[in-house]
Amino acid sequence: MSPEVLAYPFLFIAIFFESFVLVTLLSKPARAARARTQGETTPSVAVIVPCWNEASTIAATCDSLLALQYPKERLEIILVDDGSTDATPEVMAHFAQHPQVRIVRKENGGKHTALNAGIALTQADLVGCLDADSFVEPDALREVVPCFVDPQVVAVTAAMSVHKPGNILQHMQNAEYSFGITLRHVFASLNGLYVTPGPFSFYRRDVVEKLGGFRYGHQTEDMEMALRIQNAGYGIENAPRARVYTQAPDTIRGLIKQRTRWITGFLRNILGEYRGLIGSRRHGALGLLVLPTALLAIVSGILLFLLTLFLFARNIFTALSIRAGIPLSYAYLPHGSFDWFYLPTSFYLLLAAIVLMTSVTLIMVGKRISKTPGNIALGLVSYVFLYGLIVPFWLIRATSDVAVGKRRDWRY
Amino acid sequence: MSLVTRNALIALAITIVLAGTVAYAVNYLNRARVAELSTIEDQLSIDTLSLDTQFSLLEAAPCDSAASSTTLTSELADFGTRLSYAESQLGSDDAQVIRLKEQYSLLEIRDYLITNRLAQACGTKPVTVLYFYSNNGNCSDCDKAGYALSYLRNTYPSLRVYSFDYNLDLGALKTLIAVTKVRNILPAFVINGKHSYGFTSLADLEKQFPKGVLATSTPTF
Repeated sequence: MSPEVLAYPFLFIAIFFESFVLVTLLSKPARAARARTQGETTPSVAVIVPCWNEASTIAATCDSLLALQYPKERLEIILVDDGSTDATPEVMAHFAQHPQVRIVRKENGGKHTALNAGIALTQADLVGCLDADSFVEPDALREVVPCFVDPQVVAVTAAMSVHKPGNILQHMQNAEYSFGITLRHVFASLNGLYVTPGPFSFYRRDVVEKLGGFRYGHQTEDMEMALRIQNAGYGIENAPRARVYTQAPDTIRGLIKQRTRWITGFLRNILGEYRGLIGSRRHGALGLLVLPTALLAIVSGILLFLLTLFLFARNIFTALSIRAGIPLSYAYLPHGSFDWFYLPTSFYLLLAAIVLMTSVTLIMVGKRISKTPGNIALGLVSYVFLYGLIVPFWLIRATSDVAVGKRRDWRY
Repeated sequence: MSLVTRNALIALAITIVLAGTVAYAVNYLNRARVAELSTIEDQLSIDTLSLDTQFSLLEAAPCDSAASSTTLTSELADFGTRLSYAESQLGSDDAQVIRLKEQYSLLEIRDYLITNRLAQACGTKPVTVLYFYSNNGNCSDCDKAGYALSYLRNTYPSLRVYSFDYNLDLGALKTLIAVTKVRNILPAFVINGKHSYGFTSLADLEKQFPKGVLATSTPTF
């Protein structure tokens, strides 16, 4: 049996998953979500910005919040300095006199404590979170608020993109974020979201308080809160045109560190306190499809990588051993002309090509439904050629960390 | 039926259709390869028969058909490369591959005989290599030997290399093996009638050729 056969089930599941996303994208709830317009209701809103050594970005983050198109008397901004040791307090002080801004300084206790400190200060109907390295479009809040019309909805996520991608790695992440926009939009239409990301997610304050506020959540307080919301039977919506831009790691090391934190947080939460959600019929798409697929994606990502690595190494070894002793000019230079006869057409390659092409389509769909400006061509190219090579590293690192119980510092 | 169930069923149907289409496309392309091989083989059969007939007709001046023979050998080599690729795609136990290999082996034997007759009639001294291999998994050096011979054939086009699957169940091939007294130690080479077994390196293989033969052949680069 060829080793390639081992990949067939995973590729089959990947195609099924992507087909499901495309079909759901065309279904009525997703279409209705896309047709949703910016409403006139203006509940009171507090946006909490937890900061720890964010002197270089906090001013721009705060400026973007102050530029939100929302009645000023209905919007407050709470900057929480979580014991920064850099110039964050001084930068924050520039906003001290602004009537919409409140500044809190506390001892360092982690992001979840900063969020809770902000929540404790407000009586706003809705509380939002914005990471201090993220920036919002002026109409983002107006896109978010109408999602709360449904009383069952207690949290709403936004559409994230990478802020000014500079290098190829950031372009790759931008494409990936665009993929995420599509997935969040689709899963939200089935109440299948299991994370309310730090950049510009909003909550009903009373429900957050009822649920006990934010927790450490294995360094992923946003995921833990979303899982707790789902576990309690509430709904999480998505505003696909609420655009928010966040800074992405610009080095492979930083990216792997960030993603290792995300994946270990996911695994520890989902295999720990929220294990009951997996396979739960009561939680519909989340329990039966989204969470099992997310777990399977981690396993298949590692196995497909190892399989591809094995096949690649085996082919290279065979090619080198066959060519040993043959003059380089013949062995390693192409000879002959293109002939369709020799076109590689294996079942494995073609299935993988379908998965990749559908991924590219979903990335472009994400960009379109969020109306995110900018050219994504470089992102697509880097995603196609780079993403699959890097992902396995954080998947392997995260799963091994979880397996041996290793905890890492989360800053990158 | 819930929306999730309905969409999951539709997605499953799409997945099955896509996987089925891919399986059909792969099979279709492989069959197209076999069809192309059959076409080439038909043409080679005609060419071989034509050469054989030409040789008989020109008994008075048989050497006039030497050029045609060289071209035919070259086309046979290309056909062999394609057949080898098709075998790697379809598997060595595919019925059509086996049939094509049998016909290919027959054409090679026929070309080998014509080459020998031409050599006798015209006094030429072609360098012929009968190469016996196996892809049953019991010949770890056969791939290396095959590649080295491809290199030699590419470098010295006047070399006439004939490759045979030692285990092919073909009467003419068994007779050739019996006539040339090739033992089942693979890879095996019969270079201008001289036997050698096993493959270590290109340099060692080149030593098996009659002295000066490769030097007097025409390298392509």
